Amino acid sequence: MSFLPLAHALASRQDLPIPAWLFAWAASIVLIVSFFALSAAWREPKLEDEHRRPLEERLSAVLLGLPLQVLCGAVGVFLLGVAVYAGLRGTEAPDRNFALTFLFVTCWLGFPLFSAVLGDLFRAFNPWRAIGRTVGAGFAAIARQRPAHLPYPERLGRWPAAFGLLGVVWLEVIYGAGGIGIEPHATAVAALVYSAYTLAMMAVFGVETWCERGEIFSVYFGMFGRLGIFGSSEGRLQRRRFLSATTSWATIPGSVAVVIASIASTSFDGGQEGAFKAPLESVVGWFADAGLGPTGSLRWGETLFMLACFAGVGLVYLLGVRGMRTVPGAPSLDRLRVGFGHTLIPIALAYLVAHYFSFFVFQEQAQFGFLLSDPLGTGTTDLFGTASLEVDYSVLSANTIWYVQVAALVIGHVVGLMLAHDRALVYWPDYRKATASQYWMLAVMVAFTCFGLYLLSVSNG
Amino acid sequence: MLPLAHVGHYLWTLYVLPVLIVAVAIVRSMLAQRRAAGDGEER
Repeated sequence: MSFLPLAHALASRQDLPIPAWLFAWAASIVLIVSFFALSAAWREPKLEDEHRRPLEERLSAVLLGLPLQVLCGAVGVFLLGVAVYAGLRGTEAPDRNFALTFLFVTCWLGFPLFSAVLGDLFRAFNPWRAIGRTVGAGFAAIARQRPAHLPYPERLGRWPAAFGLLGVVWLEVIYGAGGIGIEPHATAVAALVYSAYTLAMMAVFGVETWCERGEIFSVYFGMFGRLGIFGSSEGRLQRRRFLSATTSWATIPGSVAVVIASIASTSFDGGQEGAFKAPLESVVGWFADAGLGPTGSLRWGETLFMLACFAGVGLVYLLGVRGMRTVPGAPSLDRLRVGFGHTLIPIALAYLVAHYFSFFVFQEQAQFGFLLSDPLGTGTTDLFGTASLEVDYSVLSANTIWYVQVAALVIGHVVGLMLAHDRALVYWPDYRKATASQYWMLAVMVAFTCFGLYLLSVSNG
Repeated sequence: MLPLAHVGHYLWTLYVLPVLIVAVAIVRSMLAQRRAAGDGEER
């Protein structure tokens, strides 16, 4: 999130009672204690069955009914239109243009946060899904037959979304003049190009198939939506057991890559101005020495680092999975790799919250303040009388931010441990073997927690 | 004067230590389990 000079938006330096690194030790101890508590008290799988309970029929009829679907879809299309228009016609000052904050903060960070609580909200507001379904319905009405689609290659799975996710972060964090971030105009053009690509893919493979597998935002936000307690099935809203919907998420090929891309891209963004700064400068220097210009060197260097983050996070996960194979009765490596992929979802959310919580709080003041009244940022409109409002950075102290970051990381990793333990009990019905298999996931969780806290401590310092 | 001017550069080691401790504990317990299993087979 480098388009504003407030990447992690600290109001002031922290004044912590103990050194930051001690929090990493404390968090590790919490994870180890949680691990043994799970081993002692959780001896049967509890999350494999979602235990769905339908909500009241009238409520389902209203919330899943056509009028509300049309309304939500129209809102999604309208807001995308406003963002594109603001990007094309508004100011190039990134902090004053509606497009960047709306797309990269309100949507990119807001949907994961709210979906994790309520379920997949984006599905209702997805502008491309709304357009695709409308066009499909129009075609069916005129041609008197449903549109025919090509079968989606199963092996492709969610790989287009995984690469797309890295692409979105690349565009936002790395692309841009001088490598410092993307401008509103480029954002609007990217949104238009992506819209054309998405609608074309929907026409080829079908709206729902593409949303489930290839559409970056549906896959990404839907992943976090699996953490939420609400879902729908057969036209009925249902309540489900907390976390239970995550257990079936990673079965589609490429899903593990999506969640690893999420953790890696957040780590890269968190580390580029802090922990990775010195090595990044060295790599950029190599490219400069090789004859690339300043912008090219920066882009290539940062791209290399982002890919290294992806490889690093993937490697740590694979080491954990490989370790499980040493326990007698272990399933194949492939089955383990896919079977434990969903345990990374709460970690991806924890990384998002830890890295962007303060940024989100500050930028939403701008979003619902001056950006709403003056979306183009030209200073000539005041639609809701809030154009003169400014961001109040004193609403969060540096210590509050740090404690939220630590809490998010610890909770996210404990939840990850819970999910891994539950899945291990499926593969090893003997709880002692299941526990032994999870020593490795404990190491993975401790590694991700300490890494996350290190990135934050350097960025905050 | 102590040569601590750049000690901050090595702060990351304090974040790696918990991971190393857990990893070493896991490897040690695995080796102990294997040894115990081997002893059981010999008897």
